[in-house]
Amino acid sequence: MSVPKVKWDWEITSQTSYWGASLRELWSFRHLLEGLVKRNFLLRYQQTILGPFWILFPPLLTLVTYVLVFGKLVGISTGTLPPVLFYFAGIILWSFFNDSFTGTATTFRDNVHLFSKVYFPRIIIPLSVIHTQLYNFLIQFLMMLLLVAYYWLFQGLRLSLSITILWFPLVLLATALLALGMGLFFSVLTAKYRDMSYVINLGVRLLMYVTPVIYPLSAVPEKVRWLVQLNPLSPLFEAFRLSLLGEGTVSTWQLAYSVLFTVAFFGASLLLFNKQGDKLIDVV
Amino acid sequence: MADNIIQVENISKLYRLGTIGTGSFRQDLQWWWNLYVRGRKDPFFHLDKTAPPGVAADQIWALRDVSFDVKQGESMGFVGSNGSGKSTLLKIISRIVKPTTGAVRGRGKVSSLLEVGTGFNKELTGRENIYISGYILGMNKAEVAAKFDEIVAFSGIEEFVDTPVKRYSSGMYVRLAFAVAAHLEPDILIVDEVLAVGDADFQKKCLGKMREVSQAEGRTILFVSHNMQAVNTLCDRAIWLNKGQMLEMGPSSAVVNKYIASLQKLQLGQKWATPQEAPGNKFIRFKQVELIPHVEHSDGIIDVRTPLTVKFQFWNMLEEMSLNVGIVLYSYTGDCIFDLLSPALHCHTGMVEGECTIPGNFLNDGSYYITLTIAKEASIPVYNLDECLSFDVEDYRADICYFEKWWGAVRPKFPFRLENHQEVCQLSR
Repeated sequence: MSVPKVKWDWEITSQTSYWGASLRELWSFRHLLEGLVKRNFLLRYQQTILGPFWILFPPLLTLVTYVLVFGKLVGISTGTLPPVLFYFAGIILWSFFNDSFTGTATTFRDNVHLFSKVYFPRIIIPLSVIHTQLYNFLIQFLMMLLLVAYYWLFQGLRLSLSITILWFPLVLLATALLALGMGLFFSVLTAKYRDMSYVINLGVRLLMYVTPVIYPLSAVPEKVRWLVQLNPLSPLFEAFRLSLLGEGTVSTWQLAYSVLFTVAFFGASLLLFNKQGDKLIDVV
Repeated sequence: MADNIIQVENISKLYRLGTIGTGSFRQDLQWWWNLYVRGRKDPFFHLDKTAPPGVAADQIWALRDVSFDVKQGESMGFVGSNGSGKSTLLKIISRIVKPTTGAVRGRGKVSSLLEVGTGFNKELTGRENIYISGYILGMNKAEVAAKFDEIVAFSGIEEFVDTPVKRYSSGMYVRLAFAVAAHLEPDILIVDEVLAVGDADFQKKCLGKMREVSQAEGRTILFVSHNMQAVNTLCDRAIWLNKGQMLEMGPSSAVVNKYIASLQKLQLGQKWATPQEAPGNKFIRFKQVELIPHVEHSDGIIDVRTPLTVKFQFWNMLEEMSLNVGIVLYSYTGDCIFDLLSPALHCHTGMVEGECTIPGNFLNDGSYYITLTIAKEASIPVYNLDECLSFDVEDYRADICYFEKWWGAVRPKFPFRLENHQEVCQLSR
């Protein structure tokens, strides 16, 4: 009896791959991504009184605190920019980075119940988190534009449109990729070692202080400025303010450093995530 | 001949026990150091195939060298006790866990239903959950939308579709969750023990739906259940797994029968050589009790069709006494099914023996035990030999598409007449 020639569609072996799901497979799960983003929104505002307004309250409250503490009390210079605009720009970009990173860093731990019962490309979950945060950011960004308009109309803020406005999408993309890259990297670690989630919480808070969120890079003493400049997030924050408010200390080289770092780190993390993702379900 | 749709080749799965997750950082470092820096073998992961299973205290073979093929449109059942590797196998085929060695190859889309309600969120409404759960199980938007009404109708939650599922009764929740899964249209459907939840009515519905899926639509099903009747009826072939190894593969009825036979905890007879060691008292000593099943088919399983003969012998030390023997049959829950009394016999000292046959097609399926009682002068107890025989009666239903536990303490087959006459009957004018 001859063995019939059969062409198999898929094969499961002990081998794990660095490449993960094909783009075609990811595309076939696009509705899942969409559904998860929708679910994230629904879940967050289910049974709350203020509903989606909760997207705006935390940054506004933080803004008030920063203006009072760092602006009035400590008196950190914000350059020529009004403190409100300066802080708000920093706050919304930071919270985008922070929420995206911490939201994806525990992907495996938070979704064991799902991952142990059904297969789909695991990357869908972190992608859905980033998407959700991106929408949050865009809503907060509209608020920011309103603030800018107010200062421009009534407070005599001088705005000059320049070519640097084109950096805005680049900055946003790079921040998202960096957050996702770090999230993917740490999601593998948090799956294996529970202590990593404490490290993340502490680390991300400390990271904020070496990122120009509450101070401009130009206000950092020359001696320690290299430390802040080493942080790939710094050029992104400076470029963000530069593109929107027209003030920021960043060179093309620094931005290029950030972008290159981000792409390389994201790529490596993605490979790690794919390679480890299939095996982690045994240890989570 | 249909083509193979799944090919499982020498699948093994090794699990490390104990320290996984805690304190393994040091182990991981050691592992990395040994493997990459010193170029040695993995110290924590010996793939020593010659070692018998379970040899290392911290490792366990959940599966060992399992191979089989499944043909297109075939339904394959998996039976075995808890921990035999059934679920691990299904998880490997569903791409959830990686095998340690071996390969699975297949064609077409796979959907796995390892749990009822995967991806459900209690806070969301029924409608939202149908969509998200559908996406997670691999449907796309158009498919869910097309099936939406059918899903809602199947689950019978029409009025509650926009209520958060946390306000559902558990029955509604399970029905909705299964309804989503039941309307998947994969080439291969993997189902693990989902029938354990839900009421009898729901189970019937599920099994009916699965039959429809496998027989009418020609999809391939891999099915794990502890409901042997369901495996028997639903599956063409079955595999019996024991401690990760495949013991038997073949037509489902044969495999299921062998598996059940291995499970039956029988006490079909006891014998004592001398009165001194035998149970009893100064009046009575038992010599032998025995249960003889009159099994017609070769697999040796007692099922509802099997007549059973109870035989006993005892030494009687009572002079000139009228004795009765009673056979008391209990179900495993301790309910008395019957207490059958022999006619009185005037006995001298010596051996007394007797037998009684419980006809086939009388007992319902279940586990039973028998107590023998001896009384003198019609009512004065002499001795009870408690729980001296125990046996299981397995279910057997030929060509009946009804999977629930048959009701009743007994399941007799009394003559039953049902006729149809030609007579005009008019309900409306």
